[in-house]
Amino acid sequence: MISYHPDSRFLTDFAAANLPMSEAVCVSAHLEFCGKCRAHVQQLADIGGHMLARLQPRAVEEDSFERLMSRIGDGDGAQQTADAVLPAAQESLVLAEEVSSRAGLAPTRGVFLPRALRRLSAGGLHNLSWVQLGNALRVAPVRISGDARDTAIYDIKAGGRMPEHEHRGEEITVLLKGSFSDAEGSYSRGDFVVRNAGEAHQPMATQDTDCICLVSLERPVRPRGWFYRLLEPYVQYRLQKTLERNTTF
Amino acid sequence: MTGTDDINSRKNVTGWGTQTVPDPWEASLRKVAQSGDRVEFRKLFDHFAPLIKAFLMKGMSAYADRSMAEEMTQEVMLKVWNKAASFNSGKASVNTWIFTIARNTRIDFIRRNDRAERNIDIEDIWHEADSPEPLVDLQQRRVEAVIRNALSTLPEEQSLVLEKAFIESKSHNEIAEELDLPLGTVKSRIRLALNKLQILIDR
Repeated sequence: MISYHPDSRFLTDFAAANLPMSEAVCVSAHLEFCGKCRAHVQQLADIGGHMLARLQPRAVEEDSFERLMSRIGDGDGAQQTADAVLPAAQESLVLAEEVSSRAGLAPTRGVFLPRALRRLSAGGLHNLSWVQLGNALRVAPVRISGDARDTAIYDIKAGGRMPEHEHRGEEITVLLKGSFSDAEGSYSRGDFVVRNAGEAHQPMATQDTDCICLVSLERPVRPRGWFYRLLEPYVQYRLQKTLERNTTF
Repeated sequence: MTGTDDINSRKNVTGWGTQTVPDPWEASLRKVAQSGDRVEFRKLFDHFAPLIKAFLMKGMSAYADRSMAEEMTQEVMLKVWNKAASFNSGKASVNTWIFTIARNTRIDFIRRNDRAERNIDIEDIWHEADSPEPLVDLQQRRVEAVIRNALSTLPEEQSLVLEKAFIESKSHNEIAEELDLPLGTVKSRIRLALNKLQILIDR
């Protein structure tokens, strides 16, 4: 069951399309799991619809309609049939499963890959370049337009513990598979979890299954232990290199 | 509590003004979808193109001039023609549907302008039509009537922030900066407005 949802700021900025891409991808991923938030976003879009209808009209150029119709006549306007444009709700799930099972890669089976990232990863998580960080965690950084945030997919092994770390900016995590917990609570598939600057935690995946998350970081996290701090520049270097590979799709 | 339960429970509190008014543009759009009816499309164009142009001129002033707004208005109306068959009247009014198309066209243009890498399709994030969920859809139309009626009764300071968000395309942060208000104040004004519109977001 989904217990953590984006708040009114995220949903409003999303519905008005004012949310930066990395955060918008996270909200969009949550919406694929959450009918309640989808309904809210639809209602928020209704505000936009009514406000559009109440605007003071601005005259279009006189030949505007004729120019448009000549474009349509030239074949710019291939009308789509209803079948062609109705998106299949489960398409991304099926696609991700198919691709991963064909490749025989167990870890990605059953992962609901967010629609927004399908194009980027060519349908499967195994198509991304991963950086292994210790025994329990691997990270696939993804570049999202010119966004200033770091966006990545995290794969935490069942029972695995992440190094304790402190946030220097906002972090959004959307759970795509499995569950994890920290001192604040436990989170499962579809949850949209926000951590703010100054908060520290040590997330741990549950014992029975791997945990896969979409993560958007305003600023890189700061590990707490001295050992990880020494490693940090090297980790950032590896992530940067891998990010370049994940961009070339 | 599931999403559907929550939406249904709202039925009891929206006792006024919820009668669904028929959407006059639905029939036109249906004829465009079914037979490429150009007379009906002309009616839609004459009504919506000037509104779309006004929307783009308000929301894109940092990126586009008048002639650009004209071209983009054509883009939006071309999509209305092309996508007419995907319009789902159970899901949204024609106003809302066209708003989402104009909104997506706008953000697509801004990204092109920023020369951002195009590895993500805008429509993969901001879908125009999701799979219909019948129960939610029914309630959707009730709430839509509430929104329409209540929108004109909002206090000025609340309708102003909504207009900045939805028409001028400003985020909470940008609104706070422009009006010289704390972010928390902008957030609470929008929340108060949403509550009056019966959009009851938990957090």
